[in-house]
Amino acid sequence: MLATVATKTFLDRWKGVTIGALAVALMFFLGMAVYRDIDLAIYTDLPEALKALMNIPVDADVGALAYGVIYSSYGALTLASLALSMGSASIAGEERKGTMGLLLGNPKSRTHILISKAANIVLLSALGAVILWIAGVAVPGMLSVDVTGIEVGALVSHMFVIAVFYGFMAMAISAWTGKNSLASGATVGVMVISFFAVGLLPLIESLANGVRAFPWHYYSGSNPQINGIDWGDLTVLFVGIALLAFVAVVGVNRRDLRGQVTGVSVVDRLRANPMTRKIVERLVGSARVSRIWVKTASENQGILIFVAYVMFLMMGLLIGPMYTFIDETLISLTDAFPKELLAMFGGGDMSTPEGFYQLETFGLMTPIAFMVVTVTTGARALAGEEANRTMGLLLANPIRRSTVVLEKTLAMIVQALIVAIALFAGVVGGSMLGGLGMSPSRIAATTLLGTLLGLVFGALALALSAATGRTRVAIYGSIGSAFGLYVANGFLPFSESFAGLAKWSPFYYYLSSDPLLNGMNWGHGAVLLGLFIVLVAAAVALFDRRDLRQTG
Amino acid sequence: MTDQMAIHTEGLTKHYGDFPALVGLDLDVPVGEIFGFLGPNGAGKTTMIRTILDEIRPTSGRASIMGLDTHESSVEIRKHIGYVPGDLAMYPNLTGKDTLTYFANLRGGVDWDYVDALAGRLDADLSKKVGDLSSGNRQKVGLIQAFMNKPDVLIMDEPSSGLDPLVQREFQTMMREFASDGQTVFLSSHTLSEVQRIADRVGIIRHGHLIAVEGVADLRSKAIRTVNLFFDEPVDGAVLEGLAGVREVNVEDHHVTLSFDGQMETLLKVVTERYNLLDITTHEANLEEIFLTYYDEVGA
Repeated sequence: MLATVATKTFLDRWKGVTIGALAVALMFFLGMAVYRDIDLAIYTDLPEALKALMNIPVDADVGALAYGVIYSSYGALTLASLALSMGSASIAGEERKGTMGLLLGNPKSRTHILISKAANIVLLSALGAVILWIAGVAVPGMLSVDVTGIEVGALVSHMFVIAVFYGFMAMAISAWTGKNSLASGATVGVMVISFFAVGLLPLIESLANGVRAFPWHYYSGSNPQINGIDWGDLTVLFVGIALLAFVAVVGVNRRDLRGQVTGVSVVDRLRANPMTRKIVERLVGSARVSRIWVKTASENQGILIFVAYVMFLMMGLLIGPMYTFIDETLISLTDAFPKELLAMFGGGDMSTPEGFYQLETFGLMTPIAFMVVTVTTGARALAGEEANRTMGLLLANPIRRSTVVLEKTLAMIVQALIVAIALFAGVVGGSMLGGLGMSPSRIAATTLLGTLLGLVFGALALALSAATGRTRVAIYGSIGSAFGLYVANGFLPFSESFAGLAKWSPFYYYLSSDPLLNGMNWGHGAVLLGLFIVLVAAAVALFDRRDLRQTG
Repeated sequence: MTDQMAIHTEGLTKHYGDFPALVGLDLDVPVGEIFGFLGPNGAGKTTMIRTILDEIRPTSGRASIMGLDTHESSVEIRKHIGYVPGDLAMYPNLTGKDTLTYFANLRGGVDWDYVDALAGRLDADLSKKVGDLSSGNRQKVGLIQAFMNKPDVLIMDEPSSGLDPLVQREFQTMMREFASDGQTVFLSSHTLSEVQRIADRVGIIRHGHLIAVEGVADLRSKAIRTVNLFFDEPVDGAVLEGLAGVREVNVEDHHVTLSFDGQMETLLKVVTERYNLLDITTHEANLEEIFLTYYDEVGA
């Protein structure tokens, strides 16, 4: 039975893990190929402090750069994301599908089921790690790049352990609460914050020791790709894994299992409260179901609020004052810093507040934030209703299929605008708090371009959702494309022969015109808007012509 | 002629890949009728319903509802229908009331007094979230959703699943009232007793083929009876099988069950000559027995 549960989960998941690991391997190949083509002097001339910050070893060569800059961050983020999605689905996923009761109808305890799920997180993370290890060894050979002195095995071992750590964290939350989205959301939050803290805190001398509070430090802090396995750091993670496993076992055994899960939204709380019931009932109770787009926009409230909150407070408001704390000498050093290298992190020159905001907020986090919201809504819009078997009922009403697609698109736009407003307000506020004097109109222009970029990938998810009716295809397809196109936009400009190709990436039309410094580039905005419209039109056409799926 | 027909199909065929889920279905359901669509699981009932609702498109053939083509005029058609899908699912985070408001808004309004009346008759709680309701109570919300617009044609796929017997009876009364007002009910089911109680005509589908359409009254008039015979010793069934009017003989030790539409006197004579008959019960055969008798071989 234990083996049966484990086997089923393994078979459900191995494809996703393999595809994720292969995508990172492909990116690694691309990155290494570009590094091979460029003059590495731009790196070797860097100041020591910055090299340390960027994971660039003192005697940087092609191999060290590719492993340090690409493999260690993207590889670990991907592997950990896969593990945490397994962890959050482990118990809560079975409850949500209503299959937990069925599973427990067999003579096995909750602890048994949890263990088999945990075994899968370990096993599948190992599968991903093995693929990454093979690629890490094989790619340099294919490209004839000398990688002597790089500890691929140590790097991948660290990756494996950090992935299991986040997988178990998600599993513990999932087991304790029975809430899938809470488990994945909270764990992703911890992971992303931890990733950025480890990059950012060392910049501020007085806070440099703070990195020890973040799990990511125990993964990358010792530079395992150069220094080999750091057993001390891994021990910290092992202890964390053991603690999380213990919490998961206690959590899953102590509470009532949930039946079909109904989330409780902010509106629901206000409606339940006798003080606010009347006014909320009038304002949103029936308003929420007045139109398809209003209902859709009111869903995923948790994710939307979380993303808006992070972008407003942590990525907006706090970055301004933080800029004023950063060591002056570090900032002055960035004159020597190659723009091409920073472009991978979204570009940005740390000697100006605009550059700092671009590096920290707009470069990577803003596209991610918009996409979390737009891709979720785009993917669930059609395929989600089909998977939940409500699409038949919805379309039994006298409305066109195209109306459904367009209303869902409108909901996506509204959600993106909420994030945009939070981000804009946060950055303007941060600039004021730090006395940085950034131009609100240029912040608005950058935010607008970011919103359009997020909508492009949301529309891609919508079109995939319309074409296939499968949420997973829509999510993985659009996130995978975004990932590849982001990297292409960051790396291709390094090589003169490939530089022109970057224009094929939507990301090019987001920041290449430096909107934070130069204001709105209407041409670039028009390209993104046009792409969005084409994808929505494709979604309408694709959805109209196919059979609805009966089950998910 | 199709304009008097609530539902009309011509050679309606649907293949899923190589699998023929529905084959050459020709069917007419006149306005004002309660039509029962019967068949075992996987026979093609749901495929037929999803095809005429334009959820899926036919591989060949065509269908119309109220004289309108189900694909070309699907939006117009949906102004005239109420639908209860099989395996009903709704939005778990919405209350019953929210759910009905949502669909009412999509249709442009509804008579809430009528909704309250329906909820009262079915004993439905509309204040709870749909996700917190038992499947039977969720089904009630689905039924109200279909009835609330007073549609011309009600299309329901296994509508009484999960309902308790009292509510089932009320639901059947509602369907009859509905038809007596001149509206049409198309009802798929695999429980024959329900259809037998309320339908005017029944169609039976097997392996995607419509193998029979009969009036319930006509079927009844075939006057088949089910006869139970109890003896004081084990019986040889072969003795009975040759007799005129005897079908479907089942022998279990001392007990014989058979379907019979011949002369009772002849039957009794034969059995009492050979055995000691202890007891006999007979009753009018239900649809299930009639179908098993007449159509078992046809679609197999």
